[in-house]
Amino acid sequence: MTPIVWTYIIYIALSIPLTVWVAQTLHKNGRVFLIDSFRGNEQLADSVNHLLVVGFYLINIGYVALALREAVAPADLRQVLETVSRKIGVVMLVLGAMHFFNIFVFSKMRRRALLQAVPPPIPPQAHVSVTTQ
Amino acid sequence: MKCLYVLFDADCELCVRCRNWLMQQPAFVPLVFIAFQSDEAQRRFAGIDALNPGEQLLVISDEGAVYRGAHAWVMCLWALENYREHAQRLAHPVLLPLARTVCELLSRNRFFLSNALFRQEPHSAAQKVAADYGLRKASWQSARCSR
Repeated sequence: MTPIVWTYIIYIALSIPLTVWVAQTLHKNGRVFLIDSFRGNEQLADSVNHLLVVGFYLINIGYVALALREAVAPADLRQVLETVSRKIGVVMLVLGAMHFFNIFVFSKMRRRALLQAVPPPIPPQAHVSVTTQ
Repeated sequence: MKCLYVLFDADCELCVRCRNWLMQQPAFVPLVFIAFQSDEAQRRFAGIDALNPGEQLLVISDEGAVYRGAHAWVMCLWALENYREHAQRLAHPVLLPLARTVCELLSRNRFFLSNALFRQEPHSAAQKVAADYGLRKASWQSARCSR
């Protein structure tokens, strides 16, 4: 096998498990956060959690597949390692960006849910009697 | 709190435009708009004249809690989904006196501002509201606290 094929194999073997690990972490630890965001609606939170993870897999594995091709073929082991390292580095940065974007979306939803329960910020200045119909 | 009654000035173009804008916003707490000149306001809130509704914006909760001027604006923003955070910020002791000054200035000069800003328009929003509701005839069926 040529060095470029080794590069591809190492790249795939590292980036796919990495994606799975990040997705699992998000799925496991995001659940509590989501349940809070949906004000205790566990079913909805689980559903959204699952959908988010599916989207996460699609985008990341899609990116890994797209970024596989390497124009300049590495000649020796040193170049193989360098190429793999660069490619994995980019994948990790993409995963990190996706991860923070997900957290941002979660926290925005959570803040909105919490906002709904906020009491009036100021006390009333007077009282009148209100006639209801 | 089930809803907030907003007592606005139906003769003031600026106020009616503010009301129209508020009506379009998604709200956590429904806002019910009643012109302070209407019979409905008199009927629903006994002794409302003592609070000088023509002087500044009045907001009254369905439980009878009254907020005036800047406080009324804070409550309006608090009721809206997209502006609740701004209401919390505005209610801060540092900002509230400033908001109070601005609201007093706006209220005092509201007719001047309406005239300066919207004079060109032949069919003013205020006239439309007055015509729609028949202000002094008290046809305020829609002004109900429904929740």
